[in-house]
Amino acid sequence: MSRLPGTDISWSMRRRLVLAFGVLLIVFLGLAGFVLDRAYKQSVAAAVAERLQLQVYALLGVAEPEADGKFFLPDLEEARFSQIDSGLYGLIYNKDGTELWRSPSALNLNVDPAPMVDSELLPGQTSYGEHSTQDQGALAWASYRTYWEPLDQLFFFVVMESTAPSAVEIREFQSTLYLWFGALTVLLSVAQYLLLRWGLRPLQQLAQDVSAIESGTQDQLEQHYPRELLPVTDNLNLLIKNERERQNRFRTTLGDLAHSLKTPLAVLSTALQEARSAQHFTEQQQRDMSEQLQRMNQIVSYQLKRAVKSNQAVLARPVLLAPVLERITGALHKVYRDKEVSVELMLVEGAQFFGEESDLMEVCGNLLDNAFKYGHRRVQVKAERKGKSLLLEINDDGAGIAESQRNFVLQRGARADTVKSGQGIGLAVVVDIVSAYGGELKIERSEWGGASIKLRLG
Amino acid sequence: MRLLVAEDEDLLRARLVKALEDNSYVVDSCSNGKTALFQAGEYGYDAAIIDLGLPGLDGISLIKAIRAKGMLFPILILTARDNWTDKVAGLDAGADDYVVKPFQIEEIRARLNALLRRAAGFAKPALDFAHLSLDTTSKKLTVSGDDVELTAFEYKVLEYLMLHPGKVVSKTELTEHLYEQDHDRDSNVLEVFIRRLRQKLDPDETLKPIDTVRGQGYRFNVPATRN
Repeated sequence: MSRLPGTDISWSMRRRLVLAFGVLLIVFLGLAGFVLDRAYKQSVAAAVAERLQLQVYALLGVAEPEADGKFFLPDLEEARFSQIDSGLYGLIYNKDGTELWRSPSALNLNVDPAPMVDSELLPGQTSYGEHSTQDQGALAWASYRTYWEPLDQLFFFVVMESTAPSAVEIREFQSTLYLWFGALTVLLSVAQYLLLRWGLRPLQQLAQDVSAIESGTQDQLEQHYPRELLPVTDNLNLLIKNERERQNRFRTTLGDLAHSLKTPLAVLSTALQEARSAQHFTEQQQRDMSEQLQRMNQIVSYQLKRAVKSNQAVLARPVLLAPVLERITGALHKVYRDKEVSVELMLVEGAQFFGEESDLMEVCGNLLDNAFKYGHRRVQVKAERKGKSLLLEINDDGAGIAESQRNFVLQRGARADTVKSGQGIGLAVVVDIVSAYGGELKIERSEWGGASIKLRLG
Repeated sequence: MRLLVAEDEDLLRARLVKALEDNSYVVDSCSNGKTALFQAGEYGYDAAIIDLGLPGLDGISLIKAIRAKGMLFPILILTARDNWTDKVAGLDAGADDYVVKPFQIEEIRARLNALLRRAAGFAKPALDFAHLSLDTTSKKLTVSGDDVELTAFEYKVLEYLMLHPGKVVSKTELTEHLYEQDHDRDSNVLEVFIRRLRQKLDPDETLKPIDTVRGQGYRFNVPATRN
């Protein structure tokens, strides 16, 4: 079933208002035009009727009956009565419709007198109408019934006038009306657009601010919103602040948890080593305990690392890639000082990651640590931006990762206790973080034959 | 070699200290960051092992404070927080390497050895001087390719001198770095060890690797074969 337009709540507010104002404007201007047009036509018709009436009176004033029952009208003041086809015609009929007189102008006029000779009309009353002729076009007429006392007869004094001048007048009025209404429509539409723009500006600003927060260029919503929006913006700011604090608290708590869990593990591990040198246990017992300790450690490490990673990139802030990579490679140069690894950073100017810096540190730290550890002398990092995504490539000149192992290390959430010590956790955590940011990771062979880790973040 | 171990978990610290002492290190330990800073300034250490989660003064601040005071001895971080933000922060602050808890004592020993010889400018586990070679991993001495047996104390003296080649090392410095604080320090004993070492390193007395600088101490004077 299709919805009625506008019932879908996802319709934009601008669209709703434009539609509402648009319909209102059309209805209002349409009605106003119609009423004005009607009123003008009526006033023109009234003016014509009045004019015809006056002409009738003029005819009555000069009409003189003759002996043959006809009329003689000398000295007609109105010159148009005397010009043939002038558009103003005078006629006199008796009650049967017999023509008793016609003005010289009506010489060529051919009309049916029937509608004008209305027997129900009382003497002294005028009837009006319109008559269509072949030669003179539409004619408005006024027919006045009069009782002529000396002759004791009823006559109809009829004046007809061409409607062409008033039609022209009406058309001119309509043209002016349309012109003004057109201009008014344009003016009101522009005003409506500007008003909507102005009125919806705070909402537009809110959308921009929210998108700036999403993309990380802004920390929170500014404080200059109108009163009506303040409850929304204040609550949104509070929500953002709480969410950030919650993330930090969560991270700190997990860090403390790691410390609390791992220190006893370290004690147990050293105790076991002492017991081994003192030969307190059989070899099998030592192996079992050592394996179980290692498993516990792996599970704790892996699950904590999974938990500590940021779970959303929505409140991301931009993190410049270069300083993070420089800090990590600087640290790794210290750790792998004996290897004299040369690192080549090929980053596009201002390469940024939209997310938590700790997540970027974890991804780059684990990948670069592997590159330093398994590479011989060369490590290369390439980074470029593609839209909002960051493309990162880390190459080394080590032995590379065998194709048979690639799928295993890429399995998202590979269980920690199935991963052997010393490998896998780092990459598994990287895969988890990359997935959390909706990215992907591929393992290939670098141009030097080592590992090439290619990832897309965001 | 005199080490400082700063770790707040008593059991772990005790075991670490014991394991390191078993490996011929002289170890001072403490459980608080502020005490560690005081001790670091008070005694000249060859290396320190610092837990990042210390009370009083946290590990990162402690390392920064140590470096700010101009002390350059290598620092190994112990951390339970196995994340790169903390590792990099520690290394940035001035540490030289890190070990994540739980750890194997062998790993600590290997990392310490590497840090100590790196600090002395040796890139490989062996300290090579002409025909003398001291392997800091296996703790073995070879003279012209032949294995020579050393007692634990002889090894400590030789390693210390080799890690400070060309430098006059006073008897006080040697005893401080090789004996426990409360140990009865008898400089005559040291002379006996030096004499024995000279015999083992240079039985023909042609090379004379250890000079006695009168009134000042000893100097290992064979040029290093840097690798």
